[in-house]
Amino acid sequence: MSNVKETAVELRGISKYFSGTVANDKIDLEVKRGEVLALLGENGAGKTTLMRILYGMYRADEGEILIDGKPVTINSPYDAMNLGIGMIHQHFTLVPVHTVVENVMLGLDGPYDPGAVAEEIRTLGRRYGLEVDPYATVRLLPVGMQQRVEILKALIRKACILIMDEPTAVLTPQETDRLFDFVREFRSGGNSVVFITHKLNEVMNIADRITVLRAGRTVGSIPKVEASESALARMMVGRDLELTTGQPAKNVGEVVLDVDNIGVISSRGHRVIDGLSFQIRQGEILGIAGVSGNGQEELAEVLCGLRNAEEGDIRVSGKSIVNCAPLAIIAEGVGYIPSDRQSEGLVLDMTVAENLMLKGSSDPEFTKGRFLDMAAIEENASRQVHEFDIKTPSVSTRTKALSGGNQQKVVVAREIAIASKLLVAVQPTRGLDLGATDYVHRVLLRERDKGKAVLLISTELSEIMNLSDRIGVIYRGSLLRVFTRENADIGEIGLLMTGIRGESNE
Amino acid sequence: MNKRSDQSIWLALTPLYSVILGLAASGLMMLLLKHNPIEAFAQLFGYAFRDIYNVADIFAKATPLILTGLAFGFAFRASLFNIGAQGQFYMGSIGAVVVALKLGFLPPVLLLPLCLIASVVMGAAWGAIVGMCKSRFNANEFLISMMSNYVAVAIMNFLVRVPLKEAKGEYPQTDVISEAAWIQSLIPGTRFHWGFILALAAALLAYVILWRTSLGFKIRAVGMNRSAARYAGIDEKKIFVIVFAISAGFAGLAGFMEVNGIQHMVVQGFNPTLGPEGIGIAILGNAHPLGIVLSGLLFGALKVGGNLLTQTTTIPSSIIGIMEGFVMLFVVLSYFVQNKVILAQRKRRLAKGEDVA
Ligand SMILES: Nc1ncnc2c1ncn2[C@@H]1O[C@H](COP(=O)(O)OP(=O)(O)O)[C@@H](O)[C@H]1O
Ligand SMILES: [Mg+2]
Repeated sequence: MSNVKETAVELRGISKYFSGTVANDKIDLEVKRGEVLALLGENGAGKTTLMRILYGMYRADEGEILIDGKPVTINSPYDAMNLGIGMIHQHFTLVPVHTVVENVMLGLDGPYDPGAVAEEIRTLGRRYGLEVDPYATVRLLPVGMQQRVEILKALIRKACILIMDEPTAVLTPQETDRLFDFVREFRSGGNSVVFITHKLNEVMNIADRITVLRAGRTVGSIPKVEASESALARMMVGRDLELTTGQPAKNVGEVVLDVDNIGVISSRGHRVIDGLSFQIRQGEILGIAGVSGNGQEELAEVLCGLRNAEEGDIRVSGKSIVNCAPLAIIAEGVGYIPSDRQSEGLVLDMTVAENLMLKGSSDPEFTKGRFLDMAAIEENASRQVHEFDIKTPSVSTRTKALSGGNQQKVVVAREIAIASKLLVAVQPTRGLDLGATDYVHRVLLRERDKGKAVLLISTELSEIMNLSDRIGVIYRGSLLRVFTRENADIGEIGLLMTGIRGESNE
Repeated sequence: MNKRSDQSIWLALTPLYSVILGLAASGLMMLLLKHNPIEAFAQLFGYAFRDIYNVADIFAKATPLILTGLAFGFAFRASLFNIGAQGQFYMGSIGAVVVALKLGFLPPVLLLPLCLIASVVMGAAWGAIVGMCKSRFNANEFLISMMSNYVAVAIMNFLVRVPLKEAKGEYPQTDVISEAAWIQSLIPGTRFHWGFILALAAALLAYVILWRTSLGFKIRAVGMNRSAARYAGIDEKKIFVIVFAISAGFAGLAGFMEVNGIQHMVVQGFNPTLGPEGIGIAILGNAHPLGIVLSGLLFGALKVGGNLLTQTTTIPSSIIGIMEGFVMLFVVLSYFVQNKVILAQRKRRLAKGEDVA
């Protein structure tokens, strides 16, 4: 009898055009009462856009929205909230310097008594397992806690349709489990959840029904019981895809990178890296796992010369590079794939050819005296475009016209040419679709097999587990432990990521 | 494909529309002043192109404008705002006039190059100070360069009132420089002098530096994405200083043009709007050297025609300023409108299912 559930939300023929892209193309979607709908799709499939339309942040160019069968116009998140829709964004919208209560009260209608709101936060927290201290300052809360505050904000506004945009991206495995508990509890009260993700295992874990988007279109909508991970993967990418898992390293050689007890103090005076040491040898990938914000960024910046270390030494093949200028480190054969290709890796308004030589503007390879060697730049670009299969109309196309995957290929091509000894990759697949992700993974493994040392810093645990020969866990600027690939245990790594040291002895 | 390139031609002409709209708006102003705008414009352009002397004057007027336009445009390519072209122009003038006065006994082949070098070096040094403030103290270059104008004016005022004051001691101006230091006319009897060719060479130089040299690559990289440039090992602090020096060097060169080519002396507070007009010219020319040359010529024509117009009719002379102002206003607006039009076009094409590159 509960098989026939009422429809809570219906989207009909929603289209949304941005300059250059069709983000949503006549999408139909239905969410029932008491159901968790997983909205599955690769990065760029249009999931966020569609849900922002439902939440009143964007206006659809075509199509209509029905709530409980009645057509509605949603012009702002305020309208959405009044219709019982809440949304937890990928990037939180909290005021960091305010307390939890103050954040929750923001935007509530009418004068509220902070004490009463704090009490409600506590009650709701207990009911759903989302306990937080109402008087804690948001800035000082860990990311997982901040997410709870976002959820509580929606609950206090009596949301009965909760949209969560890739909520697990910032969580440890344990925190994810707790979030899932909440989702189930919330659903059992007859509420609906739209759970956006691109991770198949989460879908199989939490969803009742799955709607798959690809390139702005609905590919299909199926009940979980009829779904399998491989079938979903095929729906997502439109073809079969075998994900690369690295074979263990075979020929491990000499030490290339030797990070020796470094310490870094941030500009605000915090100690962000503290007594960090590790080594990477030729032909080996060291993966560094951790929740973001535990010193990964600072470590990467020190390695490429953009930040000074107060203590310790870093040697590349025996030569100290700590606190050297970026150009000197590049000259030592250290390539660097930054986490944010658009702001750190590329000059989007420059051409593909120019970006492929971005770090070589003083290199005799690309210059003749003070002048650019246009022929050499062209030649290098054509070769790289061919070798890395970069999809671009020409080498003189502006890089911003390329897709995310091809932009990343430009960065990867350039950095691999630089990295004769060491390749540092920070979140190298962030925001890439599955095909491009797999491509980057294969390139990292190939470079390792050529005898380079690779440092992979990522918050995607699956990426780390699949590629690394050894895995270190970083927490508050220190490596808590380094596992070999064989004894890496995902549960233990997850605990270490939250700073809880495991019991096992190794 | 063809249709698209047609459209982009129309879009490329937007500066032209802005000029026309700017002139139309100033026409409305003339109507308010009870003058017939059509007649006035006919007269304005009639005067500007009436005889060889006036046409030559357009080039003479355009010469320093192109240079201050380059001064703003060059720095703009590095995402830096050089609002100090006026002061840099004055410093260049001082350099040129001092050399011309003190070394007046030299023959032209020596004297002219020395004056030129002095003007460029003085301008560049003055601008480099702004660049240093930016790279050393992370100062706001917009404000610092703007303030540097006032300091330069004060220095010039002092110089023409005390150490460089004319022998007669009457006016705050220098003596006339020796004829050996005059830039020769290209067409005898007109003010069209070799300086215009030099200004074209300067524009070409700006182009070559920006798009053909390693330095220019770094400048553009810093201008378009400072953080990626940092990752690429480009020293932005060095770039700030170099860019300001080069950019100010262009403005300093304008001093040589005006002192040795037109005025043959320095008069307190002469050409007080060259710097601000350079900003408008650079914007109208899309900060591209070729665009700057063309818009410099347009402003030159407006000045020549406008001057004659206000001398022969009762239209107030401020109408030239109003015309220039309206043109700049519409240029700035046009960038906004242009973006909207492009976005709307793309949306329409996407909705029709065509692909968009
Ligand atoms: N504000 C925006 N302006 C322009 N393009 C956008 C904007 N937001 C999203 N897009 C584009 O729309 C497409 C869908 O994006 P999005 O909805 O964020 O996908 P998803 O959440 O599935 O990863 C992408 O190609 C993206 O680049
Ligand atoms: Mg998204």
